[in-house]
Amino acid sequence: MYRYDEFDLGFVSGRVGQFRDQVNRRIAGELTEEQFRPLRLMNGLYLQLHAYMLRVCVPYGTMNAVQLRKLAHIARKYDRGYGHFTTRQNIQFNWPRLQDVPDILEELSDVEMHAIQTSGNCIRNVTTDQFAGAAADEIIDPRPVAEIIRQWSSLHPEFTFLPRKFKIAITGAPQDRAAIRFHDIGLMAQENAAGEVGWMVYVGGGMGRTPMIGKRIRDFVPHEDLLAYLESVLRVYNRYGRRDNKYKARIKILVHEEGLATLREQVNSEFEEVKGGVLTLPEEELARIRAYFAPPQFALSDDRFDLAALKREDAGFARFVEHNSHPHRHEGYTSLTISLKPVGGVPGDATAEQMEVVADLAERFSFNELRVSHEQNLVLPHVAIRDVRAVYDVLNAHGLAEANVGQISDMITCPGLDYCALANARSIPIAQELAKRFGTAERQAEIGPLKLNISGCINACGHHHVGHIGVLGVEKKGTELYQLTLGGDASENASIGEILGPGIVAEAVPDAVERLVQTYLGLRKAKDESFISAVKRVGPEPFREAYLAA
Amino acid sequence: MQILTANELLSGASVYFGRDRRWHQDIHRARIFAEADAQELDAVIAAAGATTRLVSIAVEKVQVKAGRVVAHRLRERIRAEGPTSPRHVLQPLREGDHVSL
Repeated sequence: MYRYDEFDLGFVSGRVGQFRDQVNRRIAGELTEEQFRPLRLMNGLYLQLHAYMLRVCVPYGTMNAVQLRKLAHIARKYDRGYGHFTTRQNIQFNWPRLQDVPDILEELSDVEMHAIQTSGNCIRNVTTDQFAGAAADEIIDPRPVAEIIRQWSSLHPEFTFLPRKFKIAITGAPQDRAAIRFHDIGLMAQENAAGEVGWMVYVGGGMGRTPMIGKRIRDFVPHEDLLAYLESVLRVYNRYGRRDNKYKARIKILVHEEGLATLREQVNSEFEEVKGGVLTLPEEELARIRAYFAPPQFALSDDRFDLAALKREDAGFARFVEHNSHPHRHEGYTSLTISLKPVGGVPGDATAEQMEVVADLAERFSFNELRVSHEQNLVLPHVAIRDVRAVYDVLNAHGLAEANVGQISDMITCPGLDYCALANARSIPIAQELAKRFGTAERQAEIGPLKLNISGCINACGHHHVGHIGVLGVEKKGTELYQLTLGGDASENASIGEILGPGIVAEAVPDAVERLVQTYLGLRKAKDESFISAVKRVGPEPFREAYLAA
Repeated sequence: MQILTANELLSGASVYFGRDRRWHQDIHRARIFAEADAQELDAVIAAAGATTRLVSIAVEKVQVKAGRVVAHRLRERIRAEGPTSPRHVLQPLREGDHVSL
């Protein structure tokens, strides 16, 4: 993975010193809250319902064991012994005290981490496929380009005060596991007719109160021109994006109001100006960054899983292999997802002890590599198939072997009204009740792959718009109500879920989801027709009828 | 009926303006402002703002039921009691965190 150079080290430690001074001045009363707020937000520090919340950046979801151990240490020393992994592949701590934050940032800088650009109207942490550099279907490892985008966008003087936040996602595989079409810019690796790999660019995707699927603005941008093209998009957005209304300030609204053709013309015009200039990425620089992400020294092996045999020997382990392993590009290896969605748990939370266990496993079995997925799980990207049993046994001993990845209980869930100052309704208790109802191995085997996402407000941090079933918390006359949506899909077949009907009370949500599941089970053509395939085949009406039948 | 709430600067903890003119974490110690107390409420808000030790100062509607202060909004009830699932205790105020007017 990437290692800081002298510039990175100086920049991050300089920022720590700067923020320490700002905190001291705030406490001394030399800065008002109005003056301090943008400064703390630029360092990932929010004020939530009960306390401050510090959001720490995990660049493109990649970290090593030392970094995860540091996060465990911070959780234990400065917080309440746990952290919450987010849909931007970051981690949040819910209980830091203001005076401790400079110390936390200093400790983070010791392991090449920070909290910069995890908030504010700037380019946020670039996200990518959690299996980047490992996936069997990958055209190219997107992490070197993600790192280059990180370097280009970090404290970019022109883009520090954009009309609104700006999110970029990148995938090197044709199967989109990074929800790229729901980002301000989505990049998907493409091979052109000459066999060269470059990037298809989508623009104007997003969730929130106005969900939009990103539109293809350019079919192919070569590596060397990518920064120039991104800069062109950002310049057009910075110039024409609305600043008069924060709800209409994202680039998706600009694309919607001006039209893709107009935006494309403006971007192309800008691109013609900047292309070939200082932003051209020389092959030598790309090669230098790529070297940081060179594949590890894999052993030669033709080991494979024999799932049938595993099922006979140990059903629990077989389920883990079936659901939590992902095909690896190197024979004899697999990528293992560690689910942070145990039944009754808080989706995305990991204790300090669990983080340390996972860090140890990464060192012993995954070439010291770890990933955070945007679905709020952890990943050991390179595990030899012969080691999977040993990894499973350790995970199992620490409550981390939940075999539910991609199943109904593997829910993306925002913190909701239990923590968040913006939320209207709670998300976590809903997730817990749904996991209780559907989380047994037998039920999940019967239902098959199903993505259920929960947001506690229309800001959609829980990605409810792209859940095959989405749950949106709203508030009406002091009561939490939940609207259900159907048919959302974050994959390359992107779609936005449709609202099924009026909101229902929390206690009614498990039964309502049950009716949707039963409808699916009754109309699927075969056991291998997934929930989302069935919904797209028959449309929402049978499900709507079932939803309204209560 | 209304109460005055804020977050204490150092801890970020939710606090309530009390009958003793100190800020407390216990909502039941909050000073209740009736409509007729509007001028006094405005004065307390101004004084609270001037301390620079309080953030997100806000007025919340409440009822008093069986001698206990109950906020109208669920958000405020959760804020007063802590996360619900799992339960977490409130962010503690330390010695230097207490604010009075």
